[in-house]
Amino acid sequence: MSKPIYEQMDKKRLSRILARASKADLAVLSAEIQKTHTPLIVKEPGKTLTMIKMREPVKQSLFYLGEVIVCEAIVELDGEKGAAVLMGDDTEKVLDMAIIDAAINKGVFDGMDMLQQLEKEQESLIQRENALHLKTMVNFESIDKEAPHDLNALKKA
Amino acid sequence: MAYVAVSGGKEAIEESIRLLDFYQCSNDRDVEVEAIESKLSLLVDRVMSEAGLYSKPYAALALKQCEGSIEEAVFLLRAYRSTLTRNYYTTEVNSNDMRIIRRISAAFKDIEGGQILGATYDYTHRLIDFDRDSKRAAKLYATMQNSLAEQNPEEVSFCPRVSDELKREGLIDRYDNYDDSTSTHNRSDQESQTDRPPHDVTTTMLEFPAQRSARLQTLSRADTGFISGLAYSALRGFGQVHPTVGELRSGYVELCVVSPLDENESLCVGEILITEVECFNTSDDKDQLKIAVGYGAVFGRNENKAISMAVIDRELDNGGEYPTQDEEFVLTHGDSLEMNGFVSHLKLPHYVTFQSKLDSVRKTRAADATGGDTHE
Repeated sequence: MSKPIYEQMDKKRLSRILARASKADLAVLSAEIQKTHTPLIVKEPGKTLTMIKMREPVKQSLFYLGEVIVCEAIVELDGEKGAAVLMGDDTEKVLDMAIIDAAINKGVFDGMDMLQQLEKEQESLIQRENALHLKTMVNFESIDKEAPHDLNALKKA
Repeated sequence: MAYVAVSGGKEAIEESIRLLDFYQCSNDRDVEVEAIESKLSLLVDRVMSEAGLYSKPYAALALKQCEGSIEEAVFLLRAYRSTLTRNYYTTEVNSNDMRIIRRISAAFKDIEGGQILGATYDYTHRLIDFDRDSKRAAKLYATMQNSLAEQNPEEVSFCPRVSDELKREGLIDRYDNYDDSTSTHNRSDQESQTDRPPHDVTTTMLEFPAQRSARLQTLSRADTGFISGLAYSALRGFGQVHPTVGELRSGYVELCVVSPLDENESLCVGEILITEVECFNTSDDKDQLKIAVGYGAVFGRNENKAISMAVIDRELDNGGEYPTQDEEFVLTHGDSLEMNGFVSHLKLPHYVTFQSKLDSVRKTRAADATGGDTHE
């Protein structure tokens, strides 16, 4: 068995992969766990709000930008808890996320390869989207070479 | 004159609500919520921003339910959010780490990270495309998916802020130790450090002078038309600000919350699209000039609202006699739900109060006719 995933990635990275993953992919992983383990639901999947706390760059102060709907779930798998919080209202997906988290915490998760593959695909999609946007980057050609509109020049000065 | 309780109209009201279906269904074609979310995304963004609630599917559903009325959709979202608990606050979102999809500066042409136009209508011909109908949607989707698949992946790099260099040069004030606990007026530049929770206008009444956090939250969820009009008035001369957009950036920021199982771990719950603006203005700094910055941040791609917010932010810092510089005026009249609710209430029966006014007018006229005292 490969090295436990919790030794290789922190919860932030793990939850990012799971949040970006499709519902179908997580259902497959969750079903695989449930073949050998029976999760108990500690906190039923349900909707709640999350307030977004931002730091603004002008005076470096904190403020609340607004709220976002999330759903949350907590399960227990053989005495080990797992939790998930996910933007949106997909209660089935968040439950599968919590089951996967519990399996990881218990050390019985065997889907690391799939998670890493998902992460690669997610990154690739983001980078291809990024490429689309970078095509709109402006290449200025200044008629007046002395035009003082260059922040980089200001930086060098 | 006492209030008079009246009844009646119940059946008429029920029929009126039923009649809404007639207006929503003038033909048998439907528009899917997913299509509203995707095809009318700027409208969805505006509704989310004014509701102060980020949920694209629910905003789209609300718009569908009320024939595209922004204020009704905002009302529906606000009403729904009031039924939910709030179990989480995000960890601090720092938009320095934004995954940028658009970034421009009107102050400098060459900026580190480059100017990225992204998707914008700024350079389009404003001519109606009569060939654009629903049949094109599938083809357009396939074309764009193919185009996306063909791209060579480009690693995402975070862009420094345009204002950073000006801060390093000392042309813009630095506020490394900003204290939000005092009012926004008459504050010295450097004050003691506190990272206390911001004021939350959804749970605590606004007080004046308002904390900066209360100001920014209120402006961010304000009605787009209201603050755009206010900013326009400031630009036209009813104010002191005619800024340069130092930086406008739109992109995705990641939201994380503290794990419910381990307070030392955070969970990524997803990402949201926001637009941020820093507007540059010249300002007095003792016996010399400096650059003062106004800030705006809104949900989605709502650039004019973000720019307007930055204009108003700076105007409120200035203070003065114009409406845009009057904190109480600006912050108490821009909420979509409150303003439309109050205006809308004028449609409700005011039979008794109007009768009272009518009586006064009649009495005055009668007094005039008989040569009596008109000021009785």
